[in-house]
Amino acid sequence: MPVVDVDPDELRRLTGHDEKSDEELKTDLFALGLEFEGETEDGLLQLEFGPDRLDRLSVEGVARSLRYQYGDDRGVYVPNTNDADWTIVVEESVPDERPCVTGAVIRGVDLDDDALDSLIQLQEKLHATMGRKRAKGAIGIHDLTMLKGAAYDPEGDGGPAGNSITYRGVAPDGDRFVPLDADREMTPAAVLADHPTGETYASLVGAYDRYPAIYDEIGLFSFPPVINGRRTEVSTDSRNLFVELTGTDQWTIDRMCNVICYALDARGATIEEVGVDYPDGRLVRPDFEVETKTVTHDRIESMLGIDLDVEETVDLFERSGLDAVPDETDGTYEVSIPPYRTDVIHPLDLIDDVGRAYGFNDLDPRYPDVATVGSRHDRSKLESAARTRLVGLGFEDLLNFHMISEPENYDRMGLTAGTGAYGGDPPVTITEPYSEDYTMLRTWALPSLLMVLENNTHRTYPQDLAEVGLAAYADDDENTGVAERRTVAAALARHDATYENAKSRLAALCRGFGVDLVTPATDHPTFIDGRVADVVIDGETVGVIGEIHPRVLVEHDLDLPVVAFEFRLDALA
Amino acid sequence: MQLPDSQVAVLEAASATEDRTIERLSEATGLKPETVTGAAFDLETEGLVEVSTDETVSHQVTDEGETYAEVGLPEVRLYRAARAAGADNDAVPMGQVIDAADLDGPEVDIALANYARKGYGDIDSGQVTADPDTDPDADPEAAALASLCPGDDEAQRPPSSQSEADDADALDRLVRRGLVDRTERAVRSVTLTDAGVTALMEGVETAETIDRLTPELLASGEWRDAEFSAYNVEADAPAERGGSVHILRQTADRVKETLVGMGFREMGGPHADSEFWINDCLFMPQDHPARTHWDQFALDVPPMESIPDDLLDRVRSAHLEGVGEDGDGYHSPWTEAVAREVDLRGHTTSLSMRYLSGTEIGDLDPPERFFSVEKVYRNDTLDPTHLLEFFQIEGWVMAENLSVRDLMGTFEEFYRQFGITDLEFKPHYNPYTEPSFELFGTHPETGELIEIGNSGMFREEVLRPLGVECDVMAWGLALERLLMLMYGFDDIRDVHGTLCDLDLLRNTEVLH
Repeated sequence: MPVVDVDPDELRRLTGHDEKSDEELKTDLFALGLEFEGETEDGLLQLEFGPDRLDRLSVEGVARSLRYQYGDDRGVYVPNTNDADWTIVVEESVPDERPCVTGAVIRGVDLDDDALDSLIQLQEKLHATMGRKRAKGAIGIHDLTMLKGAAYDPEGDGGPAGNSITYRGVAPDGDRFVPLDADREMTPAAVLADHPTGETYASLVGAYDRYPAIYDEIGLFSFPPVINGRRTEVSTDSRNLFVELTGTDQWTIDRMCNVICYALDARGATIEEVGVDYPDGRLVRPDFEVETKTVTHDRIESMLGIDLDVEETVDLFERSGLDAVPDETDGTYEVSIPPYRTDVIHPLDLIDDVGRAYGFNDLDPRYPDVATVGSRHDRSKLESAARTRLVGLGFEDLLNFHMISEPENYDRMGLTAGTGAYGGDPPVTITEPYSEDYTMLRTWALPSLLMVLENNTHRTYPQDLAEVGLAAYADDDENTGVAERRTVAAALARHDATYENAKSRLAALCRGFGVDLVTPATDHPTFIDGRVADVVIDGETVGVIGEIHPRVLVEHDLDLPVVAFEFRLDALA
Repeated sequence: MQLPDSQVAVLEAASATEDRTIERLSEATGLKPETVTGAAFDLETEGLVEVSTDETVSHQVTDEGETYAEVGLPEVRLYRAARAAGADNDAVPMGQVIDAADLDGPEVDIALANYARKGYGDIDSGQVTADPDTDPDADPEAAALASLCPGDDEAQRPPSSQSEADDADALDRLVRRGLVDRTERAVRSVTLTDAGVTALMEGVETAETIDRLTPELLASGEWRDAEFSAYNVEADAPAERGGSVHILRQTADRVKETLVGMGFREMGGPHADSEFWINDCLFMPQDHPARTHWDQFALDVPPMESIPDDLLDRVRSAHLEGVGEDGDGYHSPWTEAVAREVDLRGHTTSLSMRYLSGTEIGDLDPPERFFSVEKVYRNDTLDPTHLLEFFQIEGWVMAENLSVRDLMGTFEEFYRQFGITDLEFKPHYNPYTEPSFELFGTHPETGELIEIGNSGMFREEVLRPLGVECDVMAWGLALERLLMLMYGFDDIRDVHGTLCDLDLLRNTEVLH
């Protein structure tokens, strides 16, 4: 979940609430869903929250939410915008994989160190969340005074000319530029190969034929989504900014752009529109259009479980930064949603806002007046019954992982995958294993028990262990491609363990479940020849029982005999 | 008559005409005094002897007492020295008198305290006076001490009745001063009763004592005359372990019992499932960060073939177009190929989706309550509180017109069963529920506010494609979290998995 670092003094200043202590702020923020996680070395509050309200990824956004909560602000706020002077011209050469671009011009910013840090943090957090690590959307912020626009007539009617920059595709070893944190000119391909930031994001564009690039009159100044050029780097001296965003989805980058514009507006900057001229038409951005959704009064009341009057409901909407116009005839509200909201995709999301403004913790819990009859799942009952019986026979009940490695599951047991022996079924393997210890699902549970014995040789004997759990193998006949079964495994490690010890316990278990057990001799590489048998329950071969082969014992560093059995749980049903 | 051998011996050693002490009987029979005492009381119960008890008091002079018996009590020595220095006329400096009396160390304090108590004189501002009428030779404590010391002629002198009371007081004082130890002792004596004499005359036989009760003794009836030899019942016995149900299973059972009691039915279903059931039904966008292979385990098996077509279409539409007139859907790509990929489930909500869709046990009619306590798999960093596999408690309630208040009431009831009260509901965001809440509760031991679950009302984008028209509220939490809260374990790896510590499992306190 996103974590944003917020300076409590900035928060007090931006909300106009100097009187709030840090503790009061934390309580107010918790009510908004922002949880205090700790403090940075510099005394900033680290706030964690769900990835829905991405407009709160900056101190400016958090302050705006608090002002609504305190009732200082009400209703939808949309910043004024000046008409476009600049245009981003999109050329046909733009890579198909990253076709979208948007932007805004910001004038009159006053960036001290804190404000600049906040802006950089917001950019990074937006990249990490909505931007899907820059794959879906990437932001470049430039010092406008360092850009030299080409003269451009957007209407093509000889009216007042503006400035333009172009978004186009460039050959990997095409034009050179000096990227941030470098002191020499590099081609885009060289950036991906040799620049630290380039290496990090190389996988995003490495496979493209042409790389995305943005040009002004002087040349290439931005290589999205990888890195900006040094020429246009923003500093605390910057007063006017050019914000550009590229990505795979226009809506996503437009909303990311809005979040940035709102944050800078909160610091007193002026937003100026930018034209985006695609080959098939012109957009004007930022897109501050206010959308509306219809919410019914009944649904609000039924979801929150309380009665509200219309006036009160409108008030709660406005305290959420929304506007609501009631329609008394059909009991609905037309609710306006400000353009920095990225999370409202259904009327229910607006009811959630009403609930937050009301204060969910002020609702009185009630136990639902709904009668149902509870029960256990049949398989879960059978598992519990087998476990109880095994414990009664003196076994310590174990719980092991379903994931295991191939050497543990097969090799160290003397077993080969794909053989008919119990446990020798073909493996279900994990595509990109996290660790070499967990590369497949276990086909049987005895390897897990042997590993527990191996790890507990310093504990007193006898060690009588059992597990009732999952095992699985690859099976194309299954819809999931995986045959899952519950297995019953037991092992007795004791100085005088014999086949008889295992057999007597298996027989007791079977008697308890009223099933017939016979144990005809068989071969199994995990066990000693002549001391191993099939477990045949009610006429079906369902498992194996025997004395573990010394080769397997030595492999597991065990210096005493172990006898064991394992069979399918459903044989007891 | 048959009696155990110790009783026979005591009976034979006792006399009808003379009280014989236990000590004497012990010497006569060669039995330990405690055995004789036990036998005597048993015989008394049978009416064969009488046991009488005399309380005797004896005094023993301590080392310190013996010293004073020799050189005189410190206060007496101080008085004599004071008189010698003329303190009966004029006050004399204390230091001078103490030196003259040859008093040293703790004796000085003892001398001064008792000097004043006995009225030998006054001690004031370092000056000592002596009462000329005192006779130090008549000090009753000195006399009593002397009488207890052997070799002193006066000790043989029978105390006059007149002075007995004084002597008793003086003796008490000596005991309090630690100069004499007093020992009080009950001396038991045994006398044969008439019945005892008769029994002896008729003849008494020794009955056998029995170490182990055997089937033969029971069958023959011999046990009726048997005496069972006494065991040392306080001694430690060899360790016995037995088996126990795994602690995490016990915790799961307790959760299941609680939920069944609250009217919930248990779900079951596959551990390996398609992304469709695990994520797409849950309205998790396909480019959601939690859906990368970094967070979940993809399996190397063919894509899932059988997913109901109409359901697949409705879920796709929910993602791309939204649900309802004002629903928007996501601005994220959605492909069927991704939906059909098979993973290990990252949550058991895949089971909830299967049940709610009607494909698992048929269409459901509200009201319904379902739960599961089953394993889930997440590609997490291994640490004391995180494993790649853990148990998720998942529960949901399906009914008409459920509200957030019903959700809160249900959770308050559930967590109360585990001693967690004062729930707080932090508004939260999940792709699949709205409103959503992280649940916080007060730790039963530490009093801290801790996160104990995630909850919410399933979104319409989740329910409508599944064909559910009413409300469903749901919640989930890790069973391990509950376990660690209840037991205070600090490393889950000791409990779950092949690195488990057998002794920890064997010795964990029983849950009830």
